[in-house]
Amino acid sequence: MSAARRIVLTSGKGGVGKTTTTANLGAVLAKRGHRVMLVDADIGLRNLDLVLGVEKRIVFDLVEVVEGRCQLRQALIKDKRLENLSILPAAQTRDKTAISELQMANVVQQLAELCDYVLIDCPAGIEHGFRNAIAGASEAIVVTTPEVSAIRDADRVIGKLNERGLPVRLIVNRLRPEMVRSGDMLSVEDVTDILSAELLGIIPEDEEVIDTTNKGEPIALQPDSRLAAIYDKIARRLEGDLVPFTTLRAPGFFGRLFGKAS
Amino acid sequence: MIQREEAPASSAVPRRRGRAIVITSGKGGVGKTTTTANTGAALAATGAKVVLVDADVGLRNLDIVMGLEARVRYHVLDVLEGAATLDDALVTDKRVPALRLLAAAQTREKDDVDTNAFRDLIGSLRERFDYVLIDCPAGIEKGFANAIAGADEAIIVCTPEVSAVRDADRVVGLLGDERSVKLIVNRLRPALVRRGKMLSVDDVNAILRLPLLGVITDAPDVIISTNRGEPVALDAASPVGASYREIAQRIIGTLTTPPVVPHDKSFIEKLFGSRK
Repeated sequence: MSAARRIVLTSGKGGVGKTTTTANLGAVLAKRGHRVMLVDADIGLRNLDLVLGVEKRIVFDLVEVVEGRCQLRQALIKDKRLENLSILPAAQTRDKTAISELQMANVVQQLAELCDYVLIDCPAGIEHGFRNAIAGASEAIVVTTPEVSAIRDADRVIGKLNERGLPVRLIVNRLRPEMVRSGDMLSVEDVTDILSAELLGIIPEDEEVIDTTNKGEPIALQPDSRLAAIYDKIARRLEGDLVPFTTLRAPGFFGRLFGKAS
Repeated sequence: MIQREEAPASSAVPRRRGRAIVITSGKGGVGKTTTTANTGAALAATGAKVVLVDADVGLRNLDIVMGLEARVRYHVLDVLEGAATLDDALVTDKRVPALRLLAAAQTREKDDVDTNAFRDLIGSLRERFDYVLIDCPAGIEKGFANAIAGADEAIIVCTPEVSAVRDADRVVGLLGDERSVKLIVNRLRPALVRRGKMLSVDDVNAILRLPLLGVITDAPDVIISTNRGEPVALDAASPVGASYREIAQRIIGTLTTPPVVPHDKSFIEKLFGSRK
């Protein structure tokens, strides 16, 4: 048995940043010296390969591994920037019922024997693809944005993860502190109050993410990016460090946040 | 357009054959639900009878975006399973009387919905409404198959991102040739496009090659209006609202000019000028 942590990144709602978070967190963990394997569980609508810029290097995929058409290591694509980061891509021309929960859990277990962290990028929704993605996981990160609809979906997903007994931690993504201050966006406190899950990270909205995602270069690897430092802190919290939540670009925001909370 | 022959209605009310349009994308979070709510509100504001159907069983949100969540009593599955009539389940909008919502079940699964029964339900709604807008869930699983079953037109919502374009392209393939498919490019940031940091509408449509129904710029007022449950399309002062009203007119056919693609500086100046 391996001691690798098997973490599914999920959300319910689509487009909140699961794939971007998977890529960036994976990159930061690898940069910190861990052996990391990323699994794209979004069969039919894969995107993790694009975000990491490896789409042209895909030879085999998850479904082919499950069907025994190739060896697991043949399907793994090694990142060119970080040698301890690899990705197992999803099949694009198949659908989610091409693999079962048990098959998925087996693949994740095999990967876990080869590395320290397996990060599983879950598809949107709570259908077959969701059940597959969580099947092999030992813990979950729920990514949400400070929007009522995203929080409602996250709440539903956390319920399903709790049923499975998976520990859940929360990343609040795309926060706009100036909108929180003007009362036009829910605060992190609002979100954690509703979802009552442990907070793992707060990521501010940053327009650079769109560009780096389109170019297949995770923003966490850009040396001058403020998000790189934020992802690094999330990685350290995952490792077990107590890293305080620092202020973003909005002084007073977290003062108010923790002032109210205490 | 082929009009299906049907037995004449026995009632005095002449039988309608409304248009059933599915709003879909593949990728989640690109704005399907917001587009459904706003396009529906804008269509209904012209006097057309409109029903919005939330096909996202288990993860419904259209009721929140419309601010009607407290008024939902029955949902699609109640109607399909005979626990409620259609009249029981249709929720009337607070602002636009010609607008109705049919909510999705929240505590059930997409697999609980029979595709043929859902198609028949959309058929019944078409007899009562001019426009049936179906809010499709993300992904291409059972929920997607259900949502597109009764629709003979589709609106693809896509953001200017490589991943969204890839997913949209896959969905266009799955929709097949028998449906009319049009495109709304959502959350465009013209300033980023000009700096070469975002795909342009032309970049998106070089891949998708669909008739362009509208372009919606990224604006904080959409997040605000969504959280408050007040469709921005009903805000006469909002430029984004105006874009949705134009989309409605293009759907109806009263506006035939293509959408203005906001690349140039003057548009931005206009946009911020009009915000004051």
